[in-house]
Amino acid sequence: MVLDDLGSSLRGTLDDLRGKSRISEDDVESVVTEIQRSLLAADVDVSLVMELSDSIETRALEEEPPAGTPARDFVLRIVYEELVDLIGESTELPLEEQTILLAGLQGSGKTTSAAKMAWWFSTKGLKPAVIQTDTFRPGAYDQAKQMTERAEVEFYGNPDAEDPVEIARNGLEETAHADVHIVDTAGRHALEDDLIAEIEEIEGVVEPDTSLLVLDAAIGQGAKDQAREFHDSIGIDGVVITKLDGTAKGGGALAAVDQTDSSIAFLGTGEEVDDIERFEPEGFISRLLGMGDLGQLAERV
Amino acid sequence: ARGKFVIEEADLKGPLDQLELALLSSDVEVGVVDEIVGTMREELVGETRTFTTSTGEVVEDALRTAITDVISVGQFDVEERVAEAEKPLVIVFTGVNGVGKTTSIAKLDQWLAERGYSTVMANGDTYRAGANEQIREHAEARGTKLISHEQGGDPAAVLYDAVEYAEANGVDVVLGDTAGRLHTDEGLMDQLEKIGRVVDPDMTLFVDEAVAGQDAVKRAREFDEAVEMDGAILTKADADSNGGAAISIAQVTGKPILFLGVGQGYDDLERFDPDELADRLLAEE
Ligand SMILES: Nc1nc2c(ncn2[C@@H]2O[C@H](COP(=O)(O)OP(=O)(O)OP(=O)(O)O)[C@@H](O)[C@H]2O)c(=O)[nH]1
Ligand SMILES: Nc1nc2c(ncn2[C@@H]2O[C@H](COP(=O)(O)OP(=O)(O)OP(=O)(O)O)[C@@H](O)[C@H]2O)c(=O)[nH]1
Ligand SMILES: [Mg+2]
Ligand SMILES: [Mg+2]
Repeated sequence: MVLDDLGSSLRGTLDDLRGKSRISEDDVESVVTEIQRSLLAADVDVSLVMELSDSIETRALEEEPPAGTPARDFVLRIVYEELVDLIGESTELPLEEQTILLAGLQGSGKTTSAAKMAWWFSTKGLKPAVIQTDTFRPGAYDQAKQMTERAEVEFYGNPDAEDPVEIARNGLEETAHADVHIVDTAGRHALEDDLIAEIEEIEGVVEPDTSLLVLDAAIGQGAKDQAREFHDSIGIDGVVITKLDGTAKGGGALAAVDQTDSSIAFLGTGEEVDDIERFEPEGFISRLLGMGDLGQLAERV
Repeated sequence: ARGKFVIEEADLKGPLDQLELALLSSDVEVGVVDEIVGTMREELVGETRTFTTSTGEVVEDALRTAITDVISVGQFDVEERVAEAEKPLVIVFTGVNGVGKTTSIAKLDQWLAERGYSTVMANGDTYRAGANEQIREHAEARGTKLISHEQGGDPAAVLYDAVEYAEANGVDVVLGDTAGRLHTDEGLMDQLEKIGRVVDPDMTLFVDEAVAGQDAVKRAREFDEAVEMDGAILTKADADSNGGAAISIAQVTGKPILFLGVGQGYDDLERFDPDELADRLLAEE
């Protein structure tokens, strides 16, 4: 994972604390300021950053560091715990029959993620099928078809049909023998009322066990409103963060998880079908702050 | 003079802190925020204000100036540039995955046609699944000639063929698509440089999305280094009311934002207006 300049100033401030065993208010304030900066630079929602830094500050001042713990490690552990508290564990996806609906903004990576997830389930010994309901974007049918060919999984779509709800219904019937149904949808955003109504209809027909919101790692402060609207319309059970092979930190997912009271399911790390990982909090938080070894440190302290 | 006050550093703390948060909430990159706030602090300390204006108002005026300065950088009239250019004019579109390059090409195709120019599209995305089918559908809907090769082919060769086609057929503008790529992918960034060398475009437009956050700065800088951009198109402005990415991109590259994408239809393309964006950013606070 790329450790870059974002975390280095934070590491610098924390290094100043190295060796100290008592923390002064000034120390805490300067560390909290640096943490705020790192979180903001990672696209974490501004008000969420303020809430987080308040709790970190309070805890760092009020709690007694365990004997012999360097101040730096103590503060870092608090930061880590607060973040884990917020994002929690990976979204539960039992390895059994299920239906998953994908939703999200235009170009966020839904179609690619549908094929990747199908590939992932197939490596777990399940039989997945991808159903493409996007009748709007030019080439959407061919894109999904080719991606599922690369993933060597079943595909249903209909380039001549016009109604996504109809395609979803037929697709589920035609692929009834599959274990895992992954339903891809056209891109849409929260302000497009007609398209939001459309995905509600799709959701009604599909009756997914899990609805996942697909978010680009580079999304900014808009993540919060988008997530809330999607949640209000179809109920979001988890988040997929894509394009984490770049430098974007994916902090928008924190607001999404917070707004939808859900968790993160998968991470996308490239354009090929096997560029997918199950979410795992430690690596994600370390990357978010631009620092390694956080989980281990939290265990040690 | 009577009724005038000198603004002191301490008076500015509250308003500038608020401003900092407002800019961050609008997706302006942290480094860019620092710079804007820093410049404003320098300019405002020691300034005088009159009895009837508050420090907050003075700060807001200064902010409008600061933002407008950043986002009006290098603005030029694309229509004029196209009119004056020797034909064929070759435009190459660059940017990270899924931001709206291909769709913007279809929109610009219409924009150019409305102004009387003939065009040819070239699919330099020989990589992504469904890329050929996607741009072909756009070209057919627009009634525009498309040059494309098999998937896996050399993108520079496709663009080169399109330029030859335009020269042979008296076509005014070549619209060259490229595959989306992240700036961290060295192999693909090298490929983009090669496309730039082989095709030597007259205009390179960097495409990014208005919903992008802090990363906009990094990718704009990296793409500008690989193939220097003449300007940017900011898409999906219909999904986002902030537009801080515009400030970040203009600030780090010194290149103008030329168009806004405001929807998925072919006419959902607007000339970028720096004053309008400044209004929108300031209205939000
Ligand atoms: N580098 C990288 N690219 C990705 C990743 N996921 C998706 N992409 C690319 O992002 C672009 C958009 O992906 P799509 O899967 O078409 O996105 P979508 O959400 O289906 O788009 P619409 O259907 O138009 O809304 C494509 O170029 C994909 O190859 C990822 O994890 N890493
Ligand atoms: N709402 C909205 N959607 C847009 C806009 N511009 C493009 N899109 C949508 O964004 C998605 C991605 O657009 P593309 O044109 O395929 O993006 P791209 O940059 O060519 O993607 P890759 O070639 O995969 O890197 C599609 O669903 C487009 O319809 C816009 O201005 N507003
Ligand atoms: Mg899609
Ligand atoms: Mg494209």
